[in-house]
Amino acid sequence: MLCGIDLGSRSVKIVLMADGCIMTEKVLETVEFYRDYGRRKNGEMAVDFAALGLEDSEAVVATGYGRNTLAIAGATVIPELKAHAIGAVWQTGLTDFTLLDLGGQDSKVIKVRRGKMVDFQTNDKCAASTGRYLENMAAVLGISLEELSRHSDNPVELSATCAIFGESELIGRIVEGYTVPELAAGVNYTIFKRVRPMLAALTGAGETVVFTGGVAIGEALPRIIEQEMGVKVVVPERPQLNGAIGCAVHAMTLLAKEG
Amino acid sequence: MAKIGITTTIPAEIVFAAGHTPVDLNNILISHPEAVRLTEAAEEAGYPRNICGWIKGLYSVVVQGGDIDTVIAVTQGDCSNTHALMETYELAGVRTIPFAYPFDRDYDLLKLQMEKLTASLGTNWDAVNAVKRRLDAVRAKVAEIDRLTWQEGTVSGWHNHLYQVSCSDFNGDVNVFEQEADAFLAAAGNAAEYAEDVRLGFIGVPPILTDLYDYIEKMGARIVYNEVQRQFAMPFATDDIVEQYRLYTYPYGVFGRIEDIRREIERRNIDGIIHYVQSFCFRQIEDMIFREKLDVPILTIEGDKPSKVDARTRLRLDSFLEMLR
Repeated sequence: MLCGIDLGSRSVKIVLMADGCIMTEKVLETVEFYRDYGRRKNGEMAVDFAALGLEDSEAVVATGYGRNTLAIAGATVIPELKAHAIGAVWQTGLTDFTLLDLGGQDSKVIKVRRGKMVDFQTNDKCAASTGRYLENMAAVLGISLEELSRHSDNPVELSATCAIFGESELIGRIVEGYTVPELAAGVNYTIFKRVRPMLAALTGAGETVVFTGGVAIGEALPRIIEQEMGVKVVVPERPQLNGAIGCAVHAMTLLAKEG
Repeated sequence: MAKIGITTTIPAEIVFAAGHTPVDLNNILISHPEAVRLTEAAEEAGYPRNICGWIKGLYSVVVQGGDIDTVIAVTQGDCSNTHALMETYELAGVRTIPFAYPFDRDYDLLKLQMEKLTASLGTNWDAVNAVKRRLDAVRAKVAEIDRLTWQEGTVSGWHNHLYQVSCSDFNGDVNVFEQEADAFLAAAGNAAEYAEDVRLGFIGVPPILTDLYDYIEKMGARIVYNEVQRQFAMPFATDDIVEQYRLYTYPYGVFGRIEDIRREIERRNIDGIIHYVQSFCFRQIEDMIFREKLDVPILTIEGDKPSKVDARTRLRLDSFLEMLR
């Protein structure tokens, strides 16, 4: 069994793979993961895989924000963008595309050619085009993330310069009498507006955009990106697990080299 | 002999010839143990949050430091925020002398600027040219440190940065600086060669991030070209001091810099470029020109206040190096 772990800012994603198939997948809240399943030992994080209900793995490969502060005991660490590129190639079978990954706090755009990362862009210090922003906005509107992610028609204009100030701007629009679908569409468009310059820098019209990360689970954003940019958007089967899958696939490569 | 603050590289020959000590305020800020506090102090004094950390730090270095009462400020060719920096210096009772690099590299206009500075500090061309010959000898040693970096592989990116960036003011004492450079050269001659697999160029203003070079070397790469720092060190063979400051690329627009960068990428066998940009700096716009005109991979990283490399920047650096491998 091979284990891939993506230590995200909002959630930790784990996959176990065997014979080129995903056997187990888990998504845990980051805080819950460290609190309930991690133990600090000699400056490293020992993960209690048994308590997680996961079998022993021959190889563990990890990536994500957590790796900067705390190494996972016994794990090989790979850069996050590399993990995502590998995961997207494996999940889609494509080798030439632009990867858009929108996670809890980070936005990444990675240009992949012949299966390898050749250029990338990431968001600046603000989280205004990510999952955290969407969670805040859904809470303000009193709807689920799933409901929020359905709408793309008649979007209200929102500036979306900040994930927190966005709340008061949205409340202002509610007061003006816009409907929930219009408000939700406006929120979805703010995400598009934030990522458009990064996407435009690395993608031409007619090219394929592979969209991953928790934010890719919704319906509206892939639709908006396709319509507005004239690209084909592919959302793989497990968008949120893409980084963890990339790690497990890399573990496969490592074992093959050793073996 | 007075200490005279400078906001970036100016003809230091003129300051030395007048019997004064130039003090590069940037170097004072970045080596100050409370550098972050100094930028915050400027905000408390009323500087906007969204202004460059260097400018804020330069303000506090002078206003809180107390031993510099005159500043030569570059009003054209470096940073337009310097105009307001000068005004706030004046408000605090600090004498300011403007110096402008002509945008079109006009020889006569540059000469006039240098003449005005010479007159304002009370010296003359003969004395200035004598200092130039002295500084040229020291600059040649720093150029050798640079050569050892990229050609022999015995000097770290950080030392390359440090010696070249120090040529803006020669740390205030040319003789002491020369002795240090001599000692460094002697040691570097016997140093082990670096064996990194990725050779990087650093373009843009010197970084406000304090451990950038260390981090890059820890990740198995090395900076073998520091663009602006090398320009500060003026590796130009000319006897004419006006021509020397005309050859200096940094203050004259981006296209002259691009020629220099292209030449050095080729000569130094560089795999990728790190373009460092300062938060809120107009030079960030030039990133799009570099990306259009340079045909090596570029990673743009941004720094705000004096600090270590943050987690996001580390992530980006790791991925960039991985991509180049």
